[in-house]
Amino acid sequence: MLATQKAGKILILATESCAYPGANAVGQAHSSYPENVFILRTRAPVLFPERFYIECFEKGISGIIIMSCGVECPYHGAYEVLARRIDRVFEMMRKRGLDPTRLRLTAICTVCTRAFLKEVQQMNEIVTKLGPPAAERTDTPPAEAS
Amino acid sequence: MKRVTKVVSSDSRVGVYICHCGGNISDHVDVNAVCEKISNLDGVRTAKTNSFMCSDPGQEMIIEDLRSGEIDRVVVASCAPSLHEATFRNALSRAGVNPYLYEHANIREQVSWVHHGEAATLKAERLIAAAVAKARLLKPLDPIRIEAKRHATIIGGGIAGLKAAKDLSSRGIEVVLIEKSPFLGGWTAMLDTLAPTGEKAADLVSSLAREVLEHPLVTIHSCSQVTGFEGSVGSFRLEVQKGPSDSGVPPVKDRGIFIPFRGYLPEEDEQPCKAFVVETGVIVIATGFKPYHPKNGEYGFAEFEEVVTLPRFIRMLAERDAGEGPLSIGGKEIKNIAMIHCVGSRHIPGIHEEDESGKLNEHCSRNCCSATLHAARLVRDRFPGTHVFEFYRDIRTYGRFQEDLYSKASESNVIFLRFEPESPPVVSRNPRADGSSLKVAVNDTLTFGERVEVPADLVVLSVGMQPSDVSDLIEMMKLPVGADGFLQEIHPKLRPVELSVAGIVLAGTCQAPMDTGEASAAGSAAAVKASAILAKGYVELDPFIAEVDLEKCRGNGECVKACLRQGALYLKDFDLHGEKVRKAQVDPVLCTGCGACVAVCPENAVDIRGWTISQYEAMVEAIARES
Repeated sequence: MLATQKAGKILILATESCAYPGANAVGQAHSSYPENVFILRTRAPVLFPERFYIECFEKGISGIIIMSCGVECPYHGAYEVLARRIDRVFEMMRKRGLDPTRLRLTAICTVCTRAFLKEVQQMNEIVTKLGPPAAERTDTPPAEAS
Repeated sequence: MKRVTKVVSSDSRVGVYICHCGGNISDHVDVNAVCEKISNLDGVRTAKTNSFMCSDPGQEMIIEDLRSGEIDRVVVASCAPSLHEATFRNALSRAGVNPYLYEHANIREQVSWVHHGEAATLKAERLIAAAVAKARLLKPLDPIRIEAKRHATIIGGGIAGLKAAKDLSSRGIEVVLIEKSPFLGGWTAMLDTLAPTGEKAADLVSSLAREVLEHPLVTIHSCSQVTGFEGSVGSFRLEVQKGPSDSGVPPVKDRGIFIPFRGYLPEEDEQPCKAFVVETGVIVIATGFKPYHPKNGEYGFAEFEEVVTLPRFIRMLAERDAGEGPLSIGGKEIKNIAMIHCVGSRHIPGIHEEDESGKLNEHCSRNCCSATLHAARLVRDRFPGTHVFEFYRDIRTYGRFQEDLYSKASESNVIFLRFEPESPPVVSRNPRADGSSLKVAVNDTLTFGERVEVPADLVVLSVGMQPSDVSDLIEMMKLPVGADGFLQEIHPKLRPVELSVAGIVLAGTCQAPMDTGEASAAGSAAAVKASAILAKGYVELDPFIAEVDLEKCRGNGECVKACLRQGALYLKDFDLHGEKVRKAQVDPVLCTGCGACVAVCPENAVDIRGWTISQYEAMVEAIARES
């Protein structure tokens, strides 16, 4: 138990329409998952600028899963904008020496309990293998693309 | 109840209230230890625990602390916010405090129900610390008030939809009812007499349909389906497509007619095929259920023509010529009927076979026991020469006067045999020359597992209720669906007909298996809720929309380009100290609060009220911090 608690923290940005109720459905089913997972409710993750993700890693978050509504996002067009933004974040992560697998964009519905557990398990394996993000960051990150 | 109070010098005075949830949380999270730790956080003025924060004493505790001025904002750590965020915001309002100075920490569904021991306690502490970090940055907000059109649209013309239409129109609200089939009455119209009263379904449907049809405020569109949806509570816009009638009967005039086992056929529209738009304030979903269709070979279904479903048997019984003589169907005398319960209900993983989409019906359909007993008793009363054997797992005659059905069936010499789910009855050809073409074999647990074989001329499968396919509406309106596939209310007890989509309410068996009486009551409940939404003439929406900091904004227009809702953000010229400047402005009616504009502003001048980037940053810092 304590070993997993010491594993790097995983942040989930979960949409209030789909993924957040999906995470609650996992709870209603009493299905356990690693306790290093912290879920923040969002209206739509398209809100977050690129720098937000980088700063999360700088603060010590080891992995981030964006659990969106996918193409069924209630905000028409938001998912596509988000997907393009995350591509840019991947690029920024690479330039800074951060393994891009620490960040994942996925779609989770209100009853996608198995998919939720699978995503969490996979990210947990990644952050356990990679260790804390500070360990792999280069000291002098190259200037990032805006 | 634990209380920790301290004097702090912070501007914000946060009160933290941690719920035991009657052991749901406190059995796994050491809430007293969490309370102690949280009370030491910057900005926290008081931290308390209670067995049930949602109870009156729990809410009063918050109200008292707010009214005394000890705190000016609140964090409650309890169940999922979908259940009680509104409850606690209302508590703040009752205390005279802005309801948006509130933050919720979900430590039941996302902590105590998924983690245990010290790890659960540590995680609860972190999540509450994150909520406190956000709460300290909250600002008072005012809800957005929009005009509500005094108009309701009901989708589905079964018993629940008709009852909702009757009740809403009787309150003076204009109603449009959209029914996809040519008939009104839904599955109730497919019945003969209703258990337990014996009332004729035809009389019930006809009486209700006529009342609705004759009401001047109700417009019915049969053969119609919703094809487009937009808007929000108070101001929805539905696109509707009306198709040709395929009723198979000549068009009727005036008040319409009831056709047995089809439904009530209203007068046909003069324009049979058309597309039109309905502008409405609230939507009632009353799309009903569909009966379980047994798989080929399930209890001999589709393998033996003598195996039928209960709805089919009810119709066969009703359509049998009246008169004396034994029960015969298709010219063949029925001496023995085997009725098998729980077909397509109460599935157990590992025992029952999943359907092609990998789903099981694990729910109890609740009505089949009473309906089966009612049919059995009708057979025994009308045809004493016909024997009835009921194969059941459990008898669940839960409703008022329904237990009498079981007693009376027993008194009528209906014979009961009980089976375990892993050892269901087996239907096969009867090799004996005793006159019955089939036999049903079972290990009867009432006789301690004795293998019993019953001859059967007819096998009736008591099929359960499944959610009807409303995937188009689910997709269009983003309706929440439960694990059982039925549409899911916000809370089964506290908000039983409301959906998480504001302004859309549920009526009847689209929500769960119900009998006719319950579906009718649900229709009335939906009507009450819908009329309450429309009563004031306006609705108040959460104020979570974009906000521009005019001090920071340099009018570069990036937010306007990124905006996903045309017109929600625009540039406006201002006169500032004699200088003409251009700044972004938000249209509060059009803005949906998605935040697409927030991420692109180089000046960080745009934020979503109540969900700001700085609040998220504070939460992440609290989570990342070591305990």
